[in-house]
Amino acid sequence: MLITCPYCGPRDVIEFTYQGDGNRERPDPASQNFEAWNAYVYDRLNPAGDHNEIWQHSGGCRAHLRVVRNTLTHEISSVAFVRGEHTSTPRRKAEGKS
Amino acid sequence: MVERQSPLEPEFHVGSHGNFEHGVEIILTETRPGSIVQLAAWPGEEKKLISGIRTVTGLALPDGAGGGLSDGVKSVFGFAPGKFTVADEAEGLAAAFARVVTPAIGTVTDLSHGRTAIRIAGPKAEWVLAKFFAIDFALPAFPVGAGRSTTHHDVFAQIQRTSADQFDIYVFRSFARSFWKALCHASEEVGYEVQ
Amino acid sequence: MSPRRTDTGGRIDRLKTIRFTFDGVAYTGHAGDTLASALLAKGVTLFGRSFKYHRPRGLLTAGVEEPNALVTVLKGEVREPNIPATMVEIHDGLVAISQNRFPSLAWDINAVNQLGGKLLSAGFYYKTFMGPVVGPLKGTRFWMVCERFIRRAAGLGSAGSAKDPARYERMNAFCDVLVVGSGPAGLMAAKAAADQGARVMLADLEPRFGGSANWSGETIDGAPASDWARRTVAQLEGRDNVRLLPRTTVWGYYDNNTLAALERVTDHKEQPGKGEPRHRYWAIRAKSVVLATGAFERPLVFPGNDRPGVMLAHAAERYANEFGVLPGERIALFTNNDSAYRVAVALKKAGAAVVAIADVRPELSAEMRKLAEEVDAEILAGHAVVATEGGRALSGLKLQRFDMANGTLTGDARSIHADCLLMSGGWSPTIHLASQAGAKAQWNAARQAFLPPKPTQQWPTQQWIGAGAFTGSFSTAEAIAEGRAAGLAAAGATGTPTALPTVEAVPGDPDPAPVFEIRAKGKSFVDFQHDVTAEDVRLAHREGFVSVEHLKRYTTLGMATDQGKSSNIPGLAIMAEALGKPIPEVGTTRFRPPFAPVSIGSLAAERFGDLKPERLTPMHDWHVANGATMYSAGLWYRPMIYGDAGETVEQAYVREAKATRESAGIVDVSTLGKIAVQGPDAAAFLDRVYTNMFSTLAVGKARYGLMLREDGLAFDDGTTWRLGEQDFLMTTTTANAGKVMQHLEYFLDVIWPELKVHVTSVTDEWAGAAIGGPKARQILAACVTSTAVDNATLPFMGIVRGEIADVPVMICRLSFSGEMAFEVYSGAGHGTHVWEALIEAGKPFGLVTYGLEALGTMRIEKGHVTGAEIDGRTTARDLHLDWMLSKKKPFIGSAMMDREGLIASDRLELVGLIALDNRPLNGGAHIVEEVDEANPHGSIGHITACCYSPALGKHIALALVKGGKARRGTRAHVSDPLRNRFGPVEIVSNHFFDPEGTRMHG
Repeated sequence: MLITCPYCGPRDVIEFTYQGDGNRERPDPASQNFEAWNAYVYDRLNPAGDHNEIWQHSGGCRAHLRVVRNTLTHEISSVAFVRGEHTSTPRRKAEGKS
Repeated sequence: MVERQSPLEPEFHVGSHGNFEHGVEIILTETRPGSIVQLAAWPGEEKKLISGIRTVTGLALPDGAGGGLSDGVKSVFGFAPGKFTVADEAEGLAAAFARVVTPAIGTVTDLSHGRTAIRIAGPKAEWVLAKFFAIDFALPAFPVGAGRSTTHHDVFAQIQRTSADQFDIYVFRSFARSFWKALCHASEEVGYEVQ
Repeated sequence: MSPRRTDTGGRIDRLKTIRFTFDGVAYTGHAGDTLASALLAKGVTLFGRSFKYHRPRGLLTAGVEEPNALVTVLKGEVREPNIPATMVEIHDGLVAISQNRFPSLAWDINAVNQLGGKLLSAGFYYKTFMGPVVGPLKGTRFWMVCERFIRRAAGLGSAGSAKDPARYERMNAFCDVLVVGSGPAGLMAAKAAADQGARVMLADLEPRFGGSANWSGETIDGAPASDWARRTVAQLEGRDNVRLLPRTTVWGYYDNNTLAALERVTDHKEQPGKGEPRHRYWAIRAKSVVLATGAFERPLVFPGNDRPGVMLAHAAERYANEFGVLPGERIALFTNNDSAYRVAVALKKAGAAVVAIADVRPELSAEMRKLAEEVDAEILAGHAVVATEGGRALSGLKLQRFDMANGTLTGDARSIHADCLLMSGGWSPTIHLASQAGAKAQWNAARQAFLPPKPTQQWPTQQWIGAGAFTGSFSTAEAIAEGRAAGLAAAGATGTPTALPTVEAVPGDPDPAPVFEIRAKGKSFVDFQHDVTAEDVRLAHREGFVSVEHLKRYTTLGMATDQGKSSNIPGLAIMAEALGKPIPEVGTTRFRPPFAPVSIGSLAAERFGDLKPERLTPMHDWHVANGATMYSAGLWYRPMIYGDAGETVEQAYVREAKATRESAGIVDVSTLGKIAVQGPDAAAFLDRVYTNMFSTLAVGKARYGLMLREDGLAFDDGTTWRLGEQDFLMTTTTANAGKVMQHLEYFLDVIWPELKVHVTSVTDEWAGAAIGGPKARQILAACVTSTAVDNATLPFMGIVRGEIADVPVMICRLSFSGEMAFEVYSGAGHGTHVWEALIEAGKPFGLVTYGLEALGTMRIEKGHVTGAEIDGRTTARDLHLDWMLSKKKPFIGSAMMDREGLIASDRLELVGLIALDNRPLNGGAHIVEEVDEANPHGSIGHITACCYSPALGKHIALALVKGGKARRGTRAHVSDPLRNRFGPVEIVSNHFFDPEGTRMHG
């Protein structure tokens, strides 16, 4: 499987670390809402189809990426920096196709 | 001044090795730059950092991910969003950058001891590197000057192409000897010389 | 009469003689021969014994699909079993032996198994496990005896146990177009794509490119097809945008057009070149893939179809045209399609007599009749072979009239004398890679074959284009046209292509008659390699196996090393008939990697032995030169002890720890994870990451910190040094350095992107030496310049910068050993220099070097926690670190750490243990309230770390014990039945030694 890192271009999946379900929302740090914390720490979506995932390009630029991946076909329909694009480091053009 | 010890020492054997009877197609060496510095800009401050790099090194970074260049003495390349590696034959680069890269622009991290720079050159450089890294080393995909962050098993590497058939590989010092041995081993079939 | 080499013809080099042995007999062959062709040329027909019945077997095929002629190749002490003789290129000195026979191939004692055929029918493995449920043998061990016999008798070659000294390598490749298969379609595709300037890779599992062009006998552009292929290859060879990979099997097709291939680099050489790998594992990332993998010919299923001398028709054509070998002198053919007639022409031309062509079809086209007449063969339309005769070689066959419509045989059997019978049951496209890539094969009734789907129906992450016989287009002219189109499309070309070469070929209808089996008395083999007969398939059906997946597993059809390349479709057809369903409704199994067997060495590549990555500290060579026994801790190597001559490990660490507490000791702590945390929000970030406060830490001071995970459990600990207002140096445990780094990066990138903080691994930047003991400060004072190290300048947890032996150092006064101690950090390249200066300065003070064992001993004496206690299940409270949980701020884990289960009173808590019987304790041993040696039970906890404490003169341990704190001062027992260690212990505080810390505060 290849993931097209917005900075490094398409790279083999061995360079990446799965960092979990991208739909989790961390409650406010001071929040005492235990249900919300419990959901954040333990509840994970497991869809058959497109899934919003976080991957770290740990063997490359180490950026965290939001990857929409189809769990049935492994098709990746979008990859973006979790942090948002850096203005002066645009997506590599020549290697944009996976 | 006390000279820095190379981590490769016991495994660094100057001379020709492997299948060199038919000619040496790989040259391996340790470039031992005096300074290796990592620079990182806060989001939106990249342009100022790039201009700071120009002020200190005289090198004008090209735009774009992984862009870089080398004048043979100093080298710079991007390896991650807003992050750059700069190397210089001379020591003292971190101090020079500390004056230019203010806290408002970003951070300077001195890695002069922490990274080991290994140079692989020759007509079979792409061939040998392809044994280690799952990235495309062909010139159109990896132009001269450009940098790449990648990994070989647990060995994290930043690679800059410093000419058509020459690459400088920055690895963690603790892994350097292990990586060097593997590099020599992989170069045996084409014949290599350690300089 | 027997097979022989022809006087002319073939792609072998008759001037080059090669010497090799098979089963100890010396043979010669020619350059370009396979082991199969060379032996066949010498009249060898018996190549192996079958899996279950030990029936004599000869060559069925000429290629990778060979199920019978499996051999073991010996290289020195190393043996590689189960290689098809058809895939072994001969070289001088090659040593090959046959398999699954005793005492010899010709006289095999286990051939008696043929008599016990009923016992070995489908599913015999399952049945033997159950045994007879009625009769005199019920409840006896008879079946187990049988099973042992069967298991020993059934099998293939045996693997060796010698260490394989060969080199294996991995190679990463990128290309625009990968073409798999180098027949006319593949060659044309590669050329068309290369002409467009695309980066092309062309792989073929054979040593010779060209595929069928090497044996078809056809003419392309007025020249023999083989010449056309050679010319085309030569053109490709000269181009720098083309990489040619002969002897390379593309065996796996993974997501995003990532393909795995195995190149056999030196198997065909007497001696590999210096540094040359035996096998190369290619990981190929291709923008487009052209599958031109051709087709496999199918055997017909009839009694005796496995006798040596019975061969696939095109295999014989290949032996004749490519290798210059005739598989027999008097050849008969048995076919359900036209392709066999071309074979008859080829063999006649090569010098054999074609005695008869039996065709299951009652009507033959005028063209086929004409071809048969040209070769002087008797035409037997509407006939089928019902038996074969002979022993280790074929002597004849029997034929009967056959009615294709209902499968019945009529009339008297007629005998024909022949030493070779060629069969053709039609062709199955080699769709394995497409199937791996998710393509669902579609049954084509005309071709009687599963064809790959149209491009629009492909799996989204793997996009390939098919060409040639792979798509069911069996003629060379079609293959060339499709190949060119595929190559152009794969390269994304839009321009007008060059003219197509013209092909002159023997005519023929590509569609076979739908006949797979002739049902007559005798064993008719479907899967030759696993000895599965047509009757086995029907038996499986009778026993209730109706799904093709179950059929496969129960009969083991298609599960041998050849993965059913020749048997899948006939097996499926017979199953379909038994079920009374059409073939497409029965369906086919999905092919999985690898396409053909792959050497384990190529998968491991360089990651073993000497080339495994390892991490060394800057002082590594010093340690080794000074008698350290090195210990691998993760990827790191660290000194365990610096043993004196004759010392045991325990004696050494006791001496080291004792000397440290009495005078001073020094230890290499360079492996500790070190992370630079920099930026205006660094302090605020650390407040969120650690359970305790860091924003209040003064510049030039360090603080011990604890991190929790999001779920509130303890994660890691270490000291963090404030080097500047916005500049921290965090240390982590050695084992968790990478995990902590990822943890920090995750929060900065995903949770708090607004924080201006950069984290960088600087573990390798710094060499660290920890020096501790009552004399430590004096030693530093003796060698440190540019700063004082007295209590005022360097208080507990203070940091100073200075120099040792002209090298800048950073010194922090902190202690893990419990002694007055300092961590001295210098640039890694100066690590040994500083270390040696410290050793030299320490000599007058009795400074010793100590390793991990003494380090562990002193930390147990002090009751400090490490990864053994922070084991992912313990909380800060369990470890008595709740004093570090700030109440002034939220931090990672603060919301979850007070959950009911995490504050229960019966949780496992950290305690100290003292062995009351003065015997050593063991890590992992259980703690119980009452010892019951006969029936160990009632664990209340376990030991996490233990040692002999020189400071206390006792055997002590740290343990996690239920409600441990409340048990202090009570007695319990250690219960360690595995090591037979039982005995009384006293539960105490984990702080065994100097609990007030007077020694380190000085």
